[in-house]
Amino acid sequence: MKFTVNWLKQYLDVNLTPAGLAATLTRLGLEVEAVERLYPGLEGIMVAQVRSVARHPNADKLSLCEVQVGPETRRVVCGAPNVRAGMLAPIALPGCRMPSGMEIKRSKIRGEVSEGMLCSAAELGLAADADGLMELPDTCVCGDTLIAALGLDDTLVEVDITPNRADCASLIGIAREVAGATGVSLKPPVAAAGPLDSQNSPFRVEVRAPEACPRYAACLLTNVTVGPSPWWLKRLLMAVGMRPINNVVDITNFVMLEYGQPLHAFDFSTLAGGGIVVREAEAGEMISTLDGVERRLSAGTLLICDQARPIAVAGVMGGQNSEVSASTREVLLESAYFNPIGIRRASRELNLSSEAAYRFERGVDPGGTINALERAAGLIEQWCGASRVHGGVDQRAEMPAPPVVTLRVSRAASRLGIELIPSEVAGLLAGIGIESEAVDHDTLRARVPSFRVDLEREIDLIEEIARLKGYDQIPATVPLIPMSLAGQDPSRALRERLAAILLAHGVFEAINYSFISPLAAERLGLAESDQRLRQLAISNPLADDQAVMRTTLLPGLLENLRHNLNRQAREVSLFEIGKVFWPVAGEAQPKEPLRLGAVFSGRLGVGAPVLHYGERPVDLYDVKGIAETIFGQLGIAASFMAPEPPPYAEPGGCLRAVLGNGREIGQLGRFNRETLRRFGIKQPVLFLDFDLESLLGVEPAVKTFTPLSRFPSVTRDLAVVVPEEVGAGLVADSVLSGSFPLVSRVEIFDVYRGQPVADGFKSIALSVSYHSDEQTLDDGVVAREQGRIVEMLGSRFSARLREE
Amino acid sequence: MEDELLRLRREALAGFAAASDLSTLEDCRVRYLGRKGLLSTAMRGLGQASEADRPRLGKLANEVKVELEAALDGRRAELGSQETGRRSQAVPPLDLTLPGRAIPFGRPHPVSQVMAEICGIFERLGFAVAEGPDVELDFYNFEGLNIPPHHPARDMHDTFYVSDGVLLRTHTSPMQVRAMQRQSPPLRMIAPGKVYRCDSDLTHTPMFHQVEGFLVDRQVSFADLKGVLSLFIAQVFSPQTAIRFRPSFFPFTEPSAEVDIACVICGGKGCRVCKQTGWLEILGAGLIDPAVFEKVGYDPELYSGFAFGLGVERITMLKYGITDIRLFYENDLRFLRQF
Repeated sequence: MKFTVNWLKQYLDVNLTPAGLAATLTRLGLEVEAVERLYPGLEGIMVAQVRSVARHPNADKLSLCEVQVGPETRRVVCGAPNVRAGMLAPIALPGCRMPSGMEIKRSKIRGEVSEGMLCSAAELGLAADADGLMELPDTCVCGDTLIAALGLDDTLVEVDITPNRADCASLIGIAREVAGATGVSLKPPVAAAGPLDSQNSPFRVEVRAPEACPRYAACLLTNVTVGPSPWWLKRLLMAVGMRPINNVVDITNFVMLEYGQPLHAFDFSTLAGGGIVVREAEAGEMISTLDGVERRLSAGTLLICDQARPIAVAGVMGGQNSEVSASTREVLLESAYFNPIGIRRASRELNLSSEAAYRFERGVDPGGTINALERAAGLIEQWCGASRVHGGVDQRAEMPAPPVVTLRVSRAASRLGIELIPSEVAGLLAGIGIESEAVDHDTLRARVPSFRVDLEREIDLIEEIARLKGYDQIPATVPLIPMSLAGQDPSRALRERLAAILLAHGVFEAINYSFISPLAAERLGLAESDQRLRQLAISNPLADDQAVMRTTLLPGLLENLRHNLNRQAREVSLFEIGKVFWPVAGEAQPKEPLRLGAVFSGRLGVGAPVLHYGERPVDLYDVKGIAETIFGQLGIAASFMAPEPPPYAEPGGCLRAVLGNGREIGQLGRFNRETLRRFGIKQPVLFLDFDLESLLGVEPAVKTFTPLSRFPSVTRDLAVVVPEEVGAGLVADSVLSGSFPLVSRVEIFDVYRGQPVADGFKSIALSVSYHSDEQTLDDGVVAREQGRIVEMLGSRFSARLREE
Repeated sequence: MEDELLRLRREALAGFAAASDLSTLEDCRVRYLGRKGLLSTAMRGLGQASEADRPRLGKLANEVKVELEAALDGRRAELGSQETGRRSQAVPPLDLTLPGRAIPFGRPHPVSQVMAEICGIFERLGFAVAEGPDVELDFYNFEGLNIPPHHPARDMHDTFYVSDGVLLRTHTSPMQVRAMQRQSPPLRMIAPGKVYRCDSDLTHTPMFHQVEGFLVDRQVSFADLKGVLSLFIAQVFSPQTAIRFRPSFFPFTEPSAEVDIACVICGGKGCRVCKQTGWLEILGAGLIDPAVFEKVGYDPELYSGFAFGLGVERITMLKYGITDIRLFYENDLRFLRQF
């Protein structure tokens, strides 16, 4: 809602600076979006009268003018076609700066001296078009400043109206608030009420949809002279961003801004049957609205019609067929109350918003219908030479009376946390037009005025009290609440632990949108049966690449990776912990399992000193190590298996992590080149993709204390040669498996291929620790145990002891 | 006896071969060839062998000893040269100006950091933390919060829909309804999470993060709301940060407030960031509307409470002076490394 400070001051005697006004409005909950001085840069512009006009001797399109500015006469060269002797026009004198920043100088134009510049409205920022000089009205005095002559010393204020405050979508509504807050009184314009008894009405109104249109008032004006609006009216409309149309339409808009009551003017002569029918549309009816669009209506849209056809979409926009034009002589002026929900629905369906719809859908004052009608009729009589035809219509259906609300002052005080007494409360409410009477020492009965459609309950009035008193008058306290153990979401703790582990491995956290391109899953090459291809689609996505809810974190992370590689990053490790969305047949809402995804490329550890850490790029052992750290830190027993690789992974470079009960935790591995190519990535990338739901239910291993042994352990190295296909990890595991009770630890410290080991074989060097809780082991015992190990390895893996 | 010698030989050779450094090799030597080593022990046992076998076994034992000593020398030379080589490389003095071997940690996303900070403050105040679904029912997102269909307040939420009555939550407030349906007062809870609106520009992304907080008990007042939020703002910004509560409107709170802090850029003098007002809006709040209590079956005569919701990206941007919200979702390492 935009208005100017001078305009607002017409309705209340208040001495506030624009800044002070803005602060008051903000305190009241009318959020000030902008405070701007209007017409900046016009300080030096004066009113001049053109005395004579002669042709410029050296230029066809220029004139040589003699102008009067106060007592002085000046010679000015002018290029405007409409310059003529006698007219009043704005002039910029030498030394004056135009709104554009250009400085006016005494100059010679084609050999003739020019002592100033006569200006167009566009040059002064007063209009958009530049059709010659701005013609000033006769009321202006030659030699005055333009600002004084046109009343341009004004400031624009824009406030953001919250949806509950329909009453403040009007100058009077805002003035009422300021009056209440500052203690001055409101001066609404006086509009003489004429009788609107349908008895003698020169036209008929038939409301066939009283639910949608509980009140419809109209009056007829004749002898209307349609033409441009007076300057004061044009100026105010332009200041608030409305385009002046003609005096009749401008007056309806002006009164709408004043009262918040939208009005509509019809050219009465175009109405078939000389009357109005308010009814709901049948499906498929057509109307051309004032914006020049032909619109197809759906059933139930409320229409204003004449006896033959629709002439307006009620409360939204008028029709071209009944538009007021230059030739209009009779105007039917409408002021009505429409059901807010119906207007909102129509406005949505037609995708058509208007100042009228904005107000109707929030709820206009059902008691203000006539005031606005009378005010507009009066102005049309005054400014358009019209005369009001006696009589008119005010069709009213039964409407609920504005509520009377019982307010407990003690309740207001306890809800707000302040002290209040009834007389103070009554005074505050009276300031904004809410009258109340005391019922007992604590209770008031407040009569809500019809314009406050948002006030129905005690709590609504408590908010009014808080607002009027000032939120800054309410102290800051802390609640007294019984102590209790605050619950914690188990997934939160898990997330934090996992993030800490990944961060410690040099992996950065990413956050991606939950919606992705429907093609992203395809880029992973997923099989048709893959659950990740069943995606939840968004009905109204902002962009194609945000059209479905993600079923995997990997595409987002790959996009991030590519983004970074394209910006010269060489090492990129990113993880994300977030939800994916699995549609569930027969359920409105999808499952939203939490997952951990990570991608790695280049060296692990962004920015690690190459000097110390070398150039080695990340490999599967790094990623497997991260997984092992996770399981170790969480105390979860998990094992790895080499699965059939998913379609995006390199065969032989992929592992599956499973829990003891067989449930899959997730996979890790290397993307194959085909997949990376589809994501526009040229260098190797590894991934980790875990389902955190699988980890959430797992009880961590119980921690129990083992007494520290008094006996030392003995470590022996052991090197065996095995066929290439034997996994070194399996060899080590078999030694630790429990068949050798003295073995306490096994470490693989070398895997060697090459001379003197034969082709197709490798040497695995193990460091084996032996330990007993009962004795210090002697060499013989250890040697025997090692001998048994060698035998086992021989029979199980065809291993032989490595000798030189 | 013969077997015993041959086994010793095999084990010792394997041990020498496996020894990876000189000290392990020396251990191995002591075990097999030392004065009390296994071979000496075995040789002392020769006395018990029969007269006939003794010479042959003695010869064998000597051969084993010679062979093992040769193998030991060979391995020792091999390892020795390796270690000398290694040592000669280590000879130059430490260059104390070289960078240390810092462990290259990653960083949490700035939104996560600020989210954790916000949640941490409220957890210290005894608030529980709970999360709800991102894909939400109209009832929880709107109707349960006193926003019926066709209410103009729905214009404040540019909603993504997935089907009729199912949408991407536009705020974390649905958790108020879910929590109150499950639990009776007293209640204090925060609900962090992702929210979605069809909007994208310099200050809006279609997904962002909010933290919802609410507290319900008997006799909770607007002054309590001011107190708790003031504590919070002093923590997350600074105790000197000026705070302003001003009236606003949310269908699920009444009285409603918007909370501003003195502009962190200009300190309240007025600048481009605060649109010359000196204030920055950082959260919305209010007393929970009795209509919401009625929806969840709380008695509004008995209970009152407050609720607030704040945008995590907004606070993060203000804390760190970030000017384009879209940077949060590009995950550019040059951005992520700064926090």
